[in-house]
Amino acid sequence: MRTLVLGLGNEYAGDDAVGVLAVRALRGALAGDTDVVESAASGLALLEVFAGYDRAVVVDSIRTGRCPAGTIVEAGLAELGPVIAPSLHQAGIPELAAVARRLGMDFPDRTRVLAVEVAGPLMFGAPLSEPVAAAIAPLGRRVLERVKRWTSEDSGRGLAEGAGPGTKDTAPGGPGGTPCTTTTRSARS
Amino acid sequence: MSREIVIDPMTRLEGHGRIHIFLNADGGVDRAYLQIPELRGFEKFVQGRRAEDMPQITSRICGVCPMAHHMAATKALDDLYQVDPPPAGRKIRELLYNAFMVEDHALHFFFLGGPDFIVGPDAPRQKRNILGVVDAVGLEIGKEVIGVRKQLRDLVAAVAGKAIHPVFGLPGGVSRSLSGELQQQAAAAAARAIEFSQFALGAFRKTVLGNPGYVEFITSEAYTHRTYYMGLVDDANKVTFYDGTLRVVGPDGKELLRFAGRDYLDHVAEHVEPWTYMKFCFLKDIGWTGFADGAASGVYSVAPLARLNVADGMATPRAQEAYEEFVTTLGPKPVHHTLASHWARIIELVYAAERMAELAADPQITDPQVRTLPAAVPREGIGVVEAPRGTLFHHYRTDERGLVTAANLVVATQNNAARIALSVDKAARALIRNGQVDEGLLNRVEMSFRAYDPCFGCSTHSLPGHMALIVEVRDADGSLVQELRRD
Repeated sequence: MRTLVLGLGNEYAGDDAVGVLAVRALRGALAGDTDVVESAASGLALLEVFAGYDRAVVVDSIRTGRCPAGTIVEAGLAELGPVIAPSLHQAGIPELAAVARRLGMDFPDRTRVLAVEVAGPLMFGAPLSEPVAAAIAPLGRRVLERVKRWTSEDSGRGLAEGAGPGTKDTAPGGPGGTPCTTTTRSARS
Repeated sequence: MSREIVIDPMTRLEGHGRIHIFLNADGGVDRAYLQIPELRGFEKFVQGRRAEDMPQITSRICGVCPMAHHMAATKALDDLYQVDPPPAGRKIRELLYNAFMVEDHALHFFFLGGPDFIVGPDAPRQKRNILGVVDAVGLEIGKEVIGVRKQLRDLVAAVAGKAIHPVFGLPGGVSRSLSGELQQQAAAAAARAIEFSQFALGAFRKTVLGNPGYVEFITSEAYTHRTYYMGLVDDANKVTFYDGTLRVVGPDGKELLRFAGRDYLDHVAEHVEPWTYMKFCFLKDIGWTGFADGAASGVYSVAPLARLNVADGMATPRAQEAYEEFVTTLGPKPVHHTLASHWARIIELVYAAERMAELAADPQITDPQVRTLPAAVPREGIGVVEAPRGTLFHHYRTDERGLVTAANLVVATQNNAARIALSVDKAARALIRNGQVDEGLLNRVEMSFRAYDPCFGCSTHSLPGHMALIVEVRDADGSLVQELRRD
C-alpha cells in the first residue's frame, strides 16, 4: 500500500502556502511507503502526481466562505461537490478522480482532503496570517492520524470503525470552537 | 429600477472572476462588467532579490503557464546582461517552449473550450464539462490528450529539470546541453504531437465547421469586435512564440506598428478603472477613448486570433495549410470574430508541434556550447514572449550588483483586458433581453471571454469548495431579489 501526502499551494502567496508548509514539516515523520510531495501545480498536471498510490491525503488551503480563517476542514471527494462546472486549469480533486476513472487511469482508491480555511486577498510575499499559521501544527497531526488510521485499517487492527466515508470529521470546530461544515451549501449568504 | 446579475465564480477558468450584469428598467443590459480579484504585491515582493532568481520566482506566479514566465524572465536576463545565447541554447529554449505551447493549447481546446464546442453551447449543463467532452470524443481520444501531455511534460522535465517549474533558463543560454538521447526523445514527442494536432484539427472541422449553426454563431455580431491586434512575428511576418518583432495591425488589417520588445513602453499604456484592480492596456499611438472598438480606439487584442491576424502566415507546412483554410472561411483578414480564437488555437497547435519537430531534427541543437557567459554590468532588462494567452512582457531594473529595484510584468490577460470587457458587455447586450436570464444565455456570455482563455488570479490554488455558479439579481438598492445557484 503506497500513500501520498500531497501539499498544494504557492509558497510566495501568503496563506496559499499553508498546504506546502504543512507537509514540509512532516518530512521525516512519515517514511516507508508514504511519500510527501509539494506542488504548486494545478489542474490536470496533478493527475500524474496521484498515479501509483493507493491512498492520498491532499493538504491545501480552501475558501468556503463559511468558516473562520484557520479552520481545518476535512472532506472526502464526494463531499467536495459533484462533478459539475469544473474549472479545468484549476480542476478540483473530485474532477481529477472522475477523469482518471473514466479514462481507466490509475488513481488512489481512498483520498481525503485536509484543508485550512483562508481569507483573501492573497498577497505576494505576505507571511501566513496568524490563524492560518496556528493551524499548521494541528493540521500536521491530522495528516499523521489519517495515515496511521489507514495503516491500522489495512493491517486489520482497531480504529476501523471511524474510518469510512460516513465519519463525522467533516465538521470540526474552528479555532474558537465555531462550528463549521463543508456540506451546508445554503449557508452562504 | 435597475437589476444587477452577478455570475460568480466563472466556470472552467483559472482563478476566480465575477461578472456583474446591470439591467435597466426595461430588462435590457445597461452595462456588464468583468471583475477580477487580482493577486497583488508582486512588484514589491521582488525588490531586493537577485535578478537571476527571477525565472524561478516568476514561474511560480502561475501554476498553469510557468514556462511562459520562466522564458520571459530568462530573456529579460539576456537583455539585462547584454548577452545573446549561442544557437544551441536558443534552440533548446525554443524547443521546450513549443512543447509547452502544444500541451497548453491541447488542454484548452479539448477541456476548456471543448465543452462549448465539442459538447455544444446548448447541451445540458451536466454534460458541459471535461467528462462530457470525454464522452463526446471517446475514451481513446481522452486518453490521448492525457498521454500526449504526459509525454511532453516528461520531455520538459528531462531537459529543464522540472516540468512544473523549469530551472534551466540562465542569462545567455541554458543550464545544460541536449544529449543525443534527449534529442530522440524530443523527436518522438514531436511526432506524436503532430499526429495529435492533426486529429484536433479534424475534430474541429467535424464538430464545428460541419455544423452551419456553429459557423453562424462564431461569425455573429455579438462576438465580433473590430480592434487592433498585437503579436510577435518573425522576419517573414510569420507567427512565432519564442522570439521576434512585435507587430500591430489595425481593424483594417494594415500594419500600424513594428517594434522591438524593449520599446514596449513607447507603445503600450495602461488605463485604470475604479471598479477593478485590472489595468487595461491600450495603444499609446492611438489613445484611450473608452471601451470601444474601431480605428479611433486604442483597444487591442493578443493571443491566438490576434497572432494570426498580425502575421502573414505560418512558418510550417501543415499549419500554413490550416491557416489558409481559416482565412478562406472567415476572411478577409483581420478576422474579428472572438470565437474564431478556438480555431486559431488549433492552427497554432499544429505549428508548435511542427516547430518542435524541426528543432528536434536540427543537428546544431546538440552542440555542447549552450551558454554565453555574461560580463556586462546589469541595469535594465526587458523580455517578451508569446504566452499561450498572448504577449507577455517582463521588465526589470537592477542596481549594479544585479539586485532588483523595480519590476513590471504585463501579462497576456492584461493586454486583452479591454477587449474582454468589450466582449462581455456586447454578448450580454445581444443575448439578454426583457430581463430574461436563463442558464443557456449566461453560458453564452461566459463563452465570450472563455475564448480568450483568460488567466486571472494566477497563483491561487485554494480549493474553491465546490465550483458553483452563483447568479445574484439585485435591485437598485442592492437588495437581493433573486438568487440562482448551480451547485
